[in-house]
Amino acid sequence: MSGAKILVVDDEPQIRRMMRATLTSSGHQVDEARTGEEALEKFREFLPDLVLLDLNMPGMGGLEACKSIRAGSDVPIIILTVRNTEKEKVEALDAGADDYVSKPFGMQELLARIRAALRRAPSSAESGPQGFVSEDLEIDFAGRRVRVRDKNVRLTPKEFELLRHLVAHEGNPVPHRELLQAVWGPDYGDETEYLRVFINHLRKKIEPSPAQPKYILTEPWVGYRFAIPEGSKPE
Amino acid sequence: MNAVLRLTIRILASVALVAAIVVVYYRLLPVNATTVALTMLLAILGIATRWGLTESLVASVVAVLGFNYFFLPPIGTFTIADPQNWVALVAFLITAVTTSQLSIRARERTAEVDARRREVERLYALGQAMLLSDSVRTSARDAVNSIMRTFEIPGAVLFSKVDDEFFRSDQQTLAISDEQLRWIATSEEPYIDPQRRIAIVPVRLGGQVLGSLGFMGSTLSTAALNAVTYLVAIGMERARSLEEGSKTEALRQSEALKAALLDALAHDLKTPLTSIKGAVSHLLTQPRNPEEEELLTIANEEADRMNRLVVEVLEMARIEATKFHPDRSPHSVAEIVSTAVKAQEESLQDRRVELHVPELLPAAEVDFEFIQQVLKQLLDNALKYSPPGTPLTISAGVAGEKIVISVADHGKGIPEAEQARIFEKFYRGRGSRDAVLGTGLGLSIAKGIIEAHGGRIWVTSQPGQGSIFSFALPASKKELVP
Repeated sequence: MSGAKILVVDDEPQIRRMMRATLTSSGHQVDEARTGEEALEKFREFLPDLVLLDLNMPGMGGLEACKSIRAGSDVPIIILTVRNTEKEKVEALDAGADDYVSKPFGMQELLARIRAALRRAPSSAESGPQGFVSEDLEIDFAGRRVRVRDKNVRLTPKEFELLRHLVAHEGNPVPHRELLQAVWGPDYGDETEYLRVFINHLRKKIEPSPAQPKYILTEPWVGYRFAIPEGSKPE
Repeated sequence: MNAVLRLTIRILASVALVAAIVVVYYRLLPVNATTVALTMLLAILGIATRWGLTESLVASVVAVLGFNYFFLPPIGTFTIADPQNWVALVAFLITAVTTSQLSIRARERTAEVDARRREVERLYALGQAMLLSDSVRTSARDAVNSIMRTFEIPGAVLFSKVDDEFFRSDQQTLAISDEQLRWIATSEEPYIDPQRRIAIVPVRLGGQVLGSLGFMGSTLSTAALNAVTYLVAIGMERARSLEEGSKTEALRQSEALKAALLDALAHDLKTPLTSIKGAVSHLLTQPRNPEEEELLTIANEEADRMNRLVVEVLEMARIEATKFHPDRSPHSVAEIVSTAVKAQEESLQDRRVELHVPELLPAAEVDFEFIQQVLKQLLDNALKYSPPGTPLTISAGVAGEKIVISVADHGKGIPEAEQARIFEKFYRGRGSRDAVLGTGLGLSIAKGIIEAHGGRIWVTSQPGQGSIFSFALPASKKELVP
């Protein structure tokens, strides 16, 4: 996908220059911000299709900026940072990021990640389940709506895709790699921590008691399984 | 001399008092004999209470003589035979003796109460002095000085067993020898020498022997001695825990500082690398001619190598400079091994990896990410240092309370002389210095990580037969939670 509007947020001018040059020459439209505060401002004016966000910035850091953007928008956010411990990845994903790339990175890899983040899964109208109804959970995949105990719940696109894939294989464990490739893209497969974070978010949103899930079950060392409690039916 | 003079004056005063009574009643105020006797009794009572036995006895005798001569008929003569005379004498003497005894006892008790009160005040002062000092050495010296000052004794000595040091107020305390102090420190009972006025008391707190305390010219009661040593014990322990606390805090702060510095350094080194790598890798997607492609490829690879170097050097610094704390939890050995092999899939290519991991192994108590790094390093090395096409073997087993994981290759092996050195920083095997890319840090980092887990890493190798790198990790006592 070319021609996306990308907001690059980084306090290092050389990195912004490099990103502007490479992304522009790959056909994208680029705007820059130097701090978290500026990122929020530019986000409203520029209305980007995707945000590339550095974590370590003076003033409002990347994590906080990520949370603020995510609070009002589903735009894909990719974190770019020099740190690469699992703890930091999980923190970033928890703050609402879709993906995490550690610096330094090859441009090919970053462009692939950008493509994957911008790619929306094909409409579910023709493939996969239409929805799911039980006494306390109602999912309408075509209308992209989820109701929990008669209240609308907002899922991010990644959470929605994850849930759709699990429901499509209801009753069967779906391996980590398969879930990652279905939701993030074919280049993914080892990022099990992504799944941990997103499954956690999903459980908080749809499970009556997230610590003892009844819909989204963990299959140790394998993956996850969507279970249908007694008395509910897929549509 | 002074006391004799004082006694003489008192006796004279007592006699004068009795004489005055005689003069008053005989010359100025004639009354009957009973009144005179009662007045005299009062006077003796007063003298006995105020002064003591000797004074009142003298006064009693004088009073009997005066009473007999001036007031008992026949007046003007001593009539020894008269029973009234004996009654008066006995009454006066009993009064004198009893009263003086009672008052002496009362005075003694007051003095004793005073002494106890003073001791308590001094103990309180000592307690305050001990609690004000915040290092062990100053607190020991303060204790010795405060004891001398507050109890007004000529010398004191404190032996601190933990530091094996003696704190003496001055040379004269050498009358108490080092050996005596050491010996009393470990004994249960205090040593008291009333003749030389020396006391040595063990200092202990909650059964723990801290040392001993020697008193010169001591007049302290046993209770006071015990209280003093208890105070000193508390003071010493308090000072020690304060000292240790501030040491730990300083250590923690300097570690946090080092970690923050290394973080900043990582950021500053990687930022220019990010620009270089980004620019070069982008140009590499559309090279204009083969020469340009070759040069860009070199730049790209070298940027990667530079990055590896930065990562490894910083990691080594982090493990060495800060106290590295792995975040440990129980993990299945099978998962540790299979995750590491999966992560290396790409570089393994056509290499066969034989796994010998028994199903029923206890879990390992490890930081998963860091152990992955160790296995990656060992697999990397095995790949680098063995000929293409030869298989690798990963095995796991239990040895005592440890879990041992080994990576074996069919390479050239490592000469015995080099086996110990390959875990040293920047050391690179003779045969590999030019042939294989690397920083010489990988195995030292692996060693640092394993040792931070309380484990051990080693190599066994025979030239020509290949090498086996093994590491032992603590087995988990907890249940495995998937």
